[in-house]
Amino acid sequence: MKHTTLLTKQVTFAASHRYWNPNWTEEKNRRVFGKCTSPYGHGHNYVLEVTLQGEPHPDTGMIMNLYDLKPILMDVLADFDHKYLNEDNPRFKHTIPTTENIAKALWELIEVRIIENADCALYKVRLYETPELYVEYWRES
Amino acid sequence: MSREHCSLTKVYRFSAGHRLHNKKFTPEENWEIFGKCTNELGHGHDYSVEVKVSGVICPETGMVINLGELNDLMNGIIEELDHKRLDIEVPFFRENQPSGELIVKYIWTRLEPKINKLDGAKLTHLKLWETPKNYFEYFENSQPQGVRRHGR
Repeated sequence: MKHTTLLTKQVTFAASHRYWNPNWTEEKNRRVFGKCTSPYGHGHNYVLEVTLQGEPHPDTGMIMNLYDLKPILMDVLADFDHKYLNEDNPRFKHTIPTTENIAKALWELIEVRIIENADCALYKVRLYETPELYVEYWRES
Repeated sequence: MSREHCSLTKVYRFSAGHRLHNKKFTPEENWEIFGKCTNELGHGHDYSVEVKVSGVICPETGMVINLGELNDLMNGIIEELDHKRLDIEVPFFRENQPSGELIVKYIWTRLEPKINKLDGAKLTHLKLWETPKNYFEYFENSQPQGVRRHGR
């Protein structure tokens, strides 16, 4: 394959989280995670960019119809948007909801849906915690 | 098992003055090559630099790199550049042109050994914005950005 065609859809959600490792002392948690250990959590306006790779379909010219992609992303984000991730989202019961781990969780949830519903591949997710901090996550198949 | 990749990118900002000028050239040649950027008393920009660090997600912290540690490393470097006239006040740029290309390379050279001392994470990409309309990138060729293939 000589060229790559990518499609990226941006969606947003707001959520709160707390960084805390229960295996560590309070002192070590404070030292490593700083303000992010605040007991009731704090929140961000996250921006998620989902990038798909594939061949544009000859009939539609599209890698994936955005009308099909958006509801999948909205459905995935239902467990993230306006939630306290540590408590409200079972994926983070035993996993610290860092930007890295949220990006990884979103990759896993979205990839399954893309494989089921579309003839293209998930290429990358980029998750902005703030406009000045983002994490990228992808897996090579 | 598929191979996973994770990177964290943080933006840092600094403002600095510079003058593009080469003593080897005549004033006319400097003007011809560097244009307005050779203005005798210098000029400045609000720079921002995007620092990308890659590695595995540490199971204990959930992080590729502790952002506090990265901030400490970068703030030390930013301190050397922020609100300085680069080609006068920063020794490296007395000998080297304070162009976007060499500023981004300078930041790489200062930052990479510091990150290498931390566990696991690796500096993989720098993007230096000189203005909102031009930027410079610096990375190792073994770590190209966005050049990869899926099996399909």
